[in-house]
Amino acid sequence: MLRAFQRILLCAAACGIWGIAAAAPAEDLLPADRPIPEVVDHYIDAELQKREIKPAAQASDNEVIRRITLDLAGRIPTVAEAQAYVQSSDPKKREQLVDRLLGLPDFALHHRNELDQLLAGNDRMEGSWRDYLLTACQENRPWDVMFREMMLSEEGQTSPGALGFLKSRAKDMDRMTGDTSSIFFGVDITCAKCHDHPLVSDWLQDHYFGMQSFFSRTYLTKANFVAESDEGDVKFKTTAGETKSAQLMFLTGTVVTEPAPPQRTDEEKKQRKEELAKLDEQKQPHPAPQYSRRAALVDLALQPGERDFFARAAVNRVWHRLFGWGLVNPVDQMHSGNPPMHPELIDWLARDFIEHGYDLKRLIRGLALSQAYSRSSIWLEGERPDRDLFAVANVKPLTPRQLGVSLDLASRNQAAMPVAGDDKWKDFITGRESRAGRFTAWVEVPNEDFQVSVTEALYFSNNAEIVNEFLSSANDRLMSQLTGQEDREAALQAAAWNTLSRPFDAEELQLFKNYLAQREDNLPAAWQQVLWAVLTSPEFRFNH
Amino acid sequence: MANRRANFCGSEDHLIHRRGFLGAAAAGAFAANMGVLNVLQSPTLASELKRQQKHVILLWLAGGASQLETWDPKPGHDNGGPFRAIETNVPGVHISELLPKMAQRMHTTCLIRSLNTRNADHGGGAELMERGRRDEPTVKYPDLGAIIARELGRPDSEVPDYVSMYTTSEGRRKGSAGFLGARYAPMFLDKELMPANIRRLEQISDLDHQQRGELRQMLGEKFARGRGSHSVDSHNGAYKRVRGLMASEKLFDVSLEPQKYRDAYGPTQFGEQTLVARRLIEAGVPFVKVARGWWDSHGQNFETHLELVTELDHVMSTLIDDLEARGLLEHTLIITLGEFGRTPRINPSLGRDHFASAWSASLTGCGIKGGAVWGKSSPDGMTVVDGEVGAGELFATIFQALGIDHKKDYFLGSRPIPLTNPGIEPIRDVLA
Repeated sequence: MLRAFQRILLCAAACGIWGIAAAAPAEDLLPADRPIPEVVDHYIDAELQKREIKPAAQASDNEVIRRITLDLAGRIPTVAEAQAYVQSSDPKKREQLVDRLLGLPDFALHHRNELDQLLAGNDRMEGSWRDYLLTACQENRPWDVMFREMMLSEEGQTSPGALGFLKSRAKDMDRMTGDTSSIFFGVDITCAKCHDHPLVSDWLQDHYFGMQSFFSRTYLTKANFVAESDEGDVKFKTTAGETKSAQLMFLTGTVVTEPAPPQRTDEEKKQRKEELAKLDEQKQPHPAPQYSRRAALVDLALQPGERDFFARAAVNRVWHRLFGWGLVNPVDQMHSGNPPMHPELIDWLARDFIEHGYDLKRLIRGLALSQAYSRSSIWLEGERPDRDLFAVANVKPLTPRQLGVSLDLASRNQAAMPVAGDDKWKDFITGRESRAGRFTAWVEVPNEDFQVSVTEALYFSNNAEIVNEFLSSANDRLMSQLTGQEDREAALQAAAWNTLSRPFDAEELQLFKNYLAQREDNLPAAWQQVLWAVLTSPEFRFNH
Repeated sequence: MANRRANFCGSEDHLIHRRGFLGAAAAGAFAANMGVLNVLQSPTLASELKRQQKHVILLWLAGGASQLETWDPKPGHDNGGPFRAIETNVPGVHISELLPKMAQRMHTTCLIRSLNTRNADHGGGAELMERGRRDEPTVKYPDLGAIIARELGRPDSEVPDYVSMYTTSEGRRKGSAGFLGARYAPMFLDKELMPANIRRLEQISDLDHQQRGELRQMLGEKFARGRGSHSVDSHNGAYKRVRGLMASEKLFDVSLEPQKYRDAYGPTQFGEQTLVARRLIEAGVPFVKVARGWWDSHGQNFETHLELVTELDHVMSTLIDDLEARGLLEHTLIITLGEFGRTPRINPSLGRDHFASAWSASLTGCGIKGGAVWGKSSPDGMTVVDGEVGAGELFATIFQALGIDHKKDYFLGSRPIPLTNPGIEPIRDVLA
């Protein structure tokens, strides 16, 4: 009840209290050299025991391989992958699976898409942006390095893709300030513009405009380059009506002192203006400022004592990606008024993330190997425990691209495609992934409290693409394997493995056998309906 | 989760909501927050039942119509332009001579002449006038259609509850259900008069189409058991609506309408789409938007408005007559609105530019005091001199006209979000 009340005050609290919920002293945390999965389970299980909640059982092997493959490779497993995993009795098979998936080209493609969604949302971006992200994901570039690149890449003849983040926001100072705070630091500070804390109202506005000051000199040139001026301040009106100049203030309250801006005579100003105009005409970027406020932000935000915001935000978002619910929710309300259920866990993970060079892949691997991650998503007895206890797995909607690639694989004659991981796989899966981009037109991007639209249901029900592509009887499609099969049960089980990575149970087999038996008049059409029903079922639509 | 919610407020309105919620929670049907919203919508209350008969047709004037050539003429002033003001059937109310038919129907309509919305940018202005307020970074507000769909639509409705016809490319925006989620996103018609994917493919028989839906539903219900996921429920819910929505295909087919009505609305695209809008609301669709483009008259403002306002006058008055004859006008609110108005000052290209400081909108029918005029702009049209209102007040007025409490809260997670921002009041003088 207390927690509930704190949530109600969430926005007010966000504005009032900037400090991170008092982090536990390092010596109270589990030792730094413990493996991530062990630490995750230690803290999650401790809270469950304290509350006397018995968590859901571990998910079956079939569910686990589907879940991990979707989360790490952005697609369902192939039949060969799923069967090999289920049949293996190697005690290390889970670890082997995770490491194998992290080594596939699929991982970088999917990781790129997740970062793209996080950083660019629905903005229309230049192709160089997605190329940049893909390369960074392929190299597993550290998150602090990527942050630096997105904030500080130098413009050349062609604009570096990394600058896409700023470029798409350069015309909107509030978005640049708000999105940077929300995405990289896990706090939505925009409410500081309108709310007042009864005791420290000015301090709040100092904060908002302090963060904005780091971006206030950033602009987009006429030739579409990101540039930063070396002068100009943010002024704002306090609630008392007084006009103030904002300081360069980070979320922790730390203030940066900067050198005085250059003093220019009118003649110099005019000359500078002409020079810049000439550069615009020549489609050249503007020169970098002597002192860059954005660089000051990046340097400060990654310093010991300041970098907890950056590390915790990343840890929380990756956790949210794998668990379908953050250690702190909403993911951009990470402040002391909205404390995590497992404060030591997020502290430990953030420390580990920093100590291991902001390695996202390492973090993903660690979380995916925990027992908390691989629980069943079914809860039948009694009230389902709160999501932030992680006693039972959350069902996660697939992204449009995950769904697109998965439909492609599920409806394929997998004997007629490359084997996952082989030489030809990279080209094959890259092509499939690229084609899946079209699904964004019909399928919503997952968000909190996600709902499926009627637009999507109508598309799957009546669009010719579905029939012509996924239900086609061409030799490279699953349908071609089903209609010719004498043994109906074997055909049904083949379809089940292809689509759901598991065999049908007796009830499902009976359902489909009965249906097919009534449709002897037109079996090819009947098989299409069976396949359609499975591909449009929620079991396929969600990661569970 | 139930007791978290119960903390919020003790108002009468919320007591009702809480009761509805607890009932459903006991049934164990929903766990997630948005699920609660749907439960609240269950038509158990008489007032809700009554409200569900109400409809909205939004005639969206994309690009921004001139208030001077429509609802707020300034004859005799340099800014006035060449058109006269004419008397209407409501004494003392004058409108542009380009609206002679509306002048004879002024008793059905109220005018708001004092909008100051402060955003004269197409994108920003449209967003504001679609949603009634500006987004916050973490709160994407639903647009008017999505809210009306939620408030006046039935969860299991067999007709769409929010249709947006936007075939004109100007300022085309899909509309957004914001935090209400995709369940309330519009059925969006941007290419043709028929919604995408509403027709069964010829290669699939009707029986196959139906039976595979039943197979899917069995799998879906089995999967949903024990998952406690409103998202999964919404997946099954969306597919359940498919067959019903497909049956509404005929509503979009104007050729099924008697020739006399087609003639009355006229052969223009705007006319036909407005006729489709009437067919839709008659069949129970709560919200229909018809966008008419090319109002953005930076040059040749007067030629443009001669053509467009004349068409608007004809189509709007035909719609009013048609709804009245069918007994639907008292249940249907017609809104004419765009992203902003146009500058009173006439530019050298004889055009008018973007202007959001003193412009007009009209409301007709349901819940409205016909013939009322709210607010006043200065003689030169440059400023509001009386009764200034913004998008929030307009939206509050629309909600109240439809019998929807504009202070009602939605919940985003646990955060209460009222339909209009705190402090906003409706324009009571134009409400019936």
